[in-house]
Amino acid sequence: MNKIYLWGIIVAVTMLTITYMSVIGSKGGLNGDIVNMFAIGGAVALVVIIVFVIIKFVRQMQVDTADGELSDDNWDGIGEYYNAIPKGWAIMYLATMVYAMWYFVIGYPVNSYSQIGEYNEDVAAHNKKFEKKYASITGERLVDMGESVFLAECKVCHGLAADGIDGSAADLNVRLEFRTVKDVVINGSNNFLLGSENPMPDRYGLMNANKDYAPITDAEIDAVSTYVANGMSGEGGDVFAGACSVCHGDDGAGMVYVAPNIAAYDITLVTNVLNHGKKGSIGAMPAFDRLNAKQKEAVSAYIISLSKGE
Amino acid sequence: MFHWLERNPFFFALSVFITISFAGLIEIVPSFAQASRPLVGTTPYSTLELAGRHVYIKNSCNACHSQLIRPFKSETDRYGHYSMSGEYAYDRPFLWGSKRTGPDLMRVGNYRTTDWHETHMKDPAAVVPGSIMPKYTWLYENETDVETAYAEQLTIAQFFSTPYNKAIPMKDGTNKIIKMGDSIAEANALALEEAKVIVADMKDQNIKDAVESGKIPEIVAIIAYMNSLK
Repeated sequence: MNKIYLWGIIVAVTMLTITYMSVIGSKGGLNGDIVNMFAIGGAVALVVIIVFVIIKFVRQMQVDTADGELSDDNWDGIGEYYNAIPKGWAIMYLATMVYAMWYFVIGYPVNSYSQIGEYNEDVAAHNKKFEKKYASITGERLVDMGESVFLAECKVCHGLAADGIDGSAADLNVRLEFRTVKDVVINGSNNFLLGSENPMPDRYGLMNANKDYAPITDAEIDAVSTYVANGMSGEGGDVFAGACSVCHGDDGAGMVYVAPNIAAYDITLVTNVLNHGKKGSIGAMPAFDRLNAKQKEAVSAYIISLSKGE
Repeated sequence: MFHWLERNPFFFALSVFITISFAGLIEIVPSFAQASRPLVGTTPYSTLELAGRHVYIKNSCNACHSQLIRPFKSETDRYGHYSMSGEYAYDRPFLWGSKRTGPDLMRVGNYRTTDWHETHMKDPAAVVPGSIMPKYTWLYENETDVETAYAEQLTIAQFFSTPYNKAIPMKDGTNKIIKMGDSIAEANALALEEAKVIVADMKDQNIKDAVESGKIPEIVAIIAYMNSLK
């Protein structure tokens, strides 16, 4: 046996012994840990491979003789054989070319990071989750959602108690306040409350049918405003029946495509105000069309629950 | 020449610097010019809005309020569409803000109204319970400096070709013209005209009277600026 194999075995055994003594044989050892086992297995494999690879090449230097066809080029007596390129290299070279083409044409353009792309994915994922979790909620949960949207978006003007903060916004605990009704009767309105342009005439367009279609008078305006602000009760009912009920209905519940509900809040009304905003005697309300349909429904439910005194 | 450069480190460094600067110039400047071009629908500030912007800067509003909506769901839910660079084309200087002690104001004109600002600026805590924003009562007394705003308009129209008195295409296909006066008197008249539109929605009788008599309190200018942020 060649001396070099002996040396190889001696070196390998020494290294493995040192490894054993410093790790496995010492206190604690491998500790039954799978990661430690892998590490030590890798160390052992490395020792064996290194030793025998070195032996292989050293032996090759010792015994190998050159053969093959020399190329014509000669540099100061040093020649070169004709050698085929190793197969592995050739395959890797071609694979790299293919990968580079793929990366240039598809890989980078399709997969590159974009902040806006990430944002769009976030929004899509959120909308999907929202749809799954909340699309079918009703009743109490819908009102709760409405309250949280209200607290985020509406309370800055309408106030925590939805009372309109001393008249700077509409008091949502009642359907209509006296001053609002009076202003609308005198000046008319056009607030897209039905989703489309359905202007209500000003006072000169309002006739009292009970008094031979005479234009509505100041006293009648006060009376009917009190009546509507009182929740369709008290005095002034006859004026309402004469001048208003033809569009708003006998009970003030409104008519589809004709006039909005002025007796109570309903989903269509609140949704339309959120979609189009509003401008009236109190001031302007901006549109909140960035809320999604369910959130608008929820806000409606919350406002309806408020005006019922719940 | 290259051999000469290799023997002279100073000039070698200099030529490296020039080469890299030139590369930077042709790479960065065109894309920067593209990104800083105004979006369709972005208009320069009118006289009163610009005066309001000066009031905003003077009172350091930007120390607490940013004007930059980042593309995160949590931000776009609160403040609206994320900001795009072209929207700042006419902002000199931009007012991105140093930090958000208060909410972002990039699109405040979309969801707050004139009368809300009026009551809010007088006593923020009365409108938003727990608000730590101080009262800005002097805005209701100080008079707006329209002349400085006009001077700025003249300057940017001349040096940056800001399109005043020119048709600017809007998103819906129409054109909009932002007017700039030919003289200080005309600028004052234009600002007053804008102020009258704002005070029509305000409640404070003193402010209404002031505008009626030809004066513009700062609150009117800053509301005009707030309403223009969309």
